[in-house]
Amino acid sequence: MVRRMAFPQTFEAARMRGIVVALCLGIVPAAAQEAGMPAPSLECRVPGSQLYSVAGLAAAKAALEARHVLRILAIGGSSAPGASASYPVKLEAALEQAMPHVDVVIDHRGLPGEIASGAAERLRSLVADAEPDLVVWQVGTHDAIARVDPTAFAEALDESVAWLKSHGIDVVLVDPLYTASVATDTDYNRIVDGVRDVATREGVPLVRRFEALRYLAGRTEKGEGHILGRQFRLNDLGLRCMAEHVALTISASLARTPSPPPTPVPPKETPALTEPQRAPG
Amino acid sequence: MREPNAIDFWRGFALITIFINHIPGNTFERYTFSQYGISDAAELFVFLAGWSIGIATRTRDGAPEPRWRSVVRMLARTVEVYRAQITVMLLALSIIAGAALLLDNPLILEWHNAGNFFADPIQSVCGMALLTYQLGFFNILPLYVVLIGIAPIIVVIARVSRVLALGLSFALYFASLILDWNLPSWPGEGTWFFDPYCWQLLLTLGFVLQDWNRTSPAFGRWTRRLMPVGVVIVIVGITLSVLDIRPDPLMVPEPRLLFTFEKSYLTPARLVHFLGVLLAFSPIYALIAPRIGWIVGFLSGLGRNSLAVFSMGSLLSLIGQLVRFQTGGGLLVDMTVAGCGLVALGITAWFVEWRSRRPSKPRA
Repeated sequence: MVRRMAFPQTFEAARMRGIVVALCLGIVPAAAQEAGMPAPSLECRVPGSQLYSVAGLAAAKAALEARHVLRILAIGGSSAPGASASYPVKLEAALEQAMPHVDVVIDHRGLPGEIASGAAERLRSLVADAEPDLVVWQVGTHDAIARVDPTAFAEALDESVAWLKSHGIDVVLVDPLYTASVATDTDYNRIVDGVRDVATREGVPLVRRFEALRYLAGRTEKGEGHILGRQFRLNDLGLRCMAEHVALTISASLARTPSPPPTPVPPKETPALTEPQRAPG
Repeated sequence: MREPNAIDFWRGFALITIFINHIPGNTFERYTFSQYGISDAAELFVFLAGWSIGIATRTRDGAPEPRWRSVVRMLARTVEVYRAQITVMLLALSIIAGAALLLDNPLILEWHNAGNFFADPIQSVCGMALLTYQLGFFNILPLYVVLIGIAPIIVVIARVSRVLALGLSFALYFASLILDWNLPSWPGEGTWFFDPYCWQLLLTLGFVLQDWNRTSPAFGRWTRRLMPVGVVIVIVGITLSVLDIRPDPLMVPEPRLLFTFEKSYLTPARLVHFLGVLLAFSPIYALIAPRIGWIVGFLSGLGRNSLAVFSMGSLLSLIGQLVRFQTGGGLLVDMTVAGCGLVALGITAWFVEWRSRRPSKPRA
């Protein structure tokens, strides 16, 4: 069964294959050596350039080195342990595989509603509850489907990311899902662009799920079919691959982040607990 | 059928506001009162539910009906609301799944937490029956089931002492805020969007205040005297929401929930704001009712049939969201969606009353 293959039983085999695949595709080999990369399964392979952009994760790195614990708040997406959603479990396994001496603790919460109206508020409460080192945020699909104005969406997202950073919490953004019927949809693409722009502006890592799925959609398919058609197959695959793609992005970003204690960290990445927030209140 | 009155009127008003606010991004959203204050239509809806229980458990002349009768009446209502919740959930999931199939767009499946259901129907269907699995925007009815379910306790205690009922209710409210009590969501992690331990306070307040309003002339005097306070609170609420000022949950002291503006927990700021809104707006009905003609009848009609109208409204707003998605939105689409929705809500209310007016034939 393909789903099993996506999540191999043997640790070593998976790791070996992951490194081989990563090297074949030129996915940040340096990172693979340094931090140990999680294993991308065959069906989820996407060239690094189309999968993510990395950035420093200072708070997560500091937590790793000081406590050997990484507390992650995973926001968005389904959480029930079905086909898609062993996601939090898979992510935890993939990260612990990549960082054998670290205890990864994942708190997964759904965040229904739109960032531009209400959900951003709810995010703050979730964060205050969970007190994570790192927030992995699947963002934008709701707003895109609700046809929220892309500018208002990007502003609200920027404000939320800035708020998280002002409290010394790292963020990894995951942009919206891809399906054929939204490929040329202008507003949908503007939401995807909005997430990318915010990630660049705020200097946070981004999982380019939209691009990755578009890449996977373009690949010739010989494998399993889907009773409901190609788009549903792709969607299942996208949800299955989420954990691997996020784990790769986090590992690659951590590998890029300088260790905090000996070398002084650049101020941009310091947990700025005393810095005034951007959002009023 | 009751004549139009203030309670049904404001209930109808809350129902329309909820319908519009549940189509996020639409043009009219920014003209609802929810955008100009800390509390919103959900508070109004639950408070008026408590008020209505006060009316329903007494005869016309104000004598309380027998205790067992009130209890059975509310249990019957609980069953009715539960049935509505299950029906609405099933239809909402079908609308989401149907739209995904029809538009060949699996992204729609992830909407409003529906992805959980399609990923894991085995646990989710149990969660649906237990009310622990909820869809985004479909979380008021589960709260309502729990509140009407515990209402007999409130009513029985309040018959002994209204102050005791209110005291216990406040105690539970503050305990939940301080100790962070809430019912769990399942499957998946998290808690209920509307925390019943906190929101029960509004139902109790509605019930007890209705009783005071009926029996105590001083109560009416004081609400009139305090109206300026209400107006000030409303103005503060408008200022805070227009300037987007709210406390940062990571900066406030512990216990955090006493200071934030969280809807889930009906935090004190929301409660105070809502009471201010009540003080400021309760005299308005008598002023405007004679001047707005058929609107009074229309809104009261919606309010009289609130369960059916609410259920239909939540499905219509879901359909409205899908229409906006597929057409790309815009003023014309929004006007059509809102207009058709209001007409459909009106027809729903009319239909329910028409059906109950028909002489029922004895069943075989």
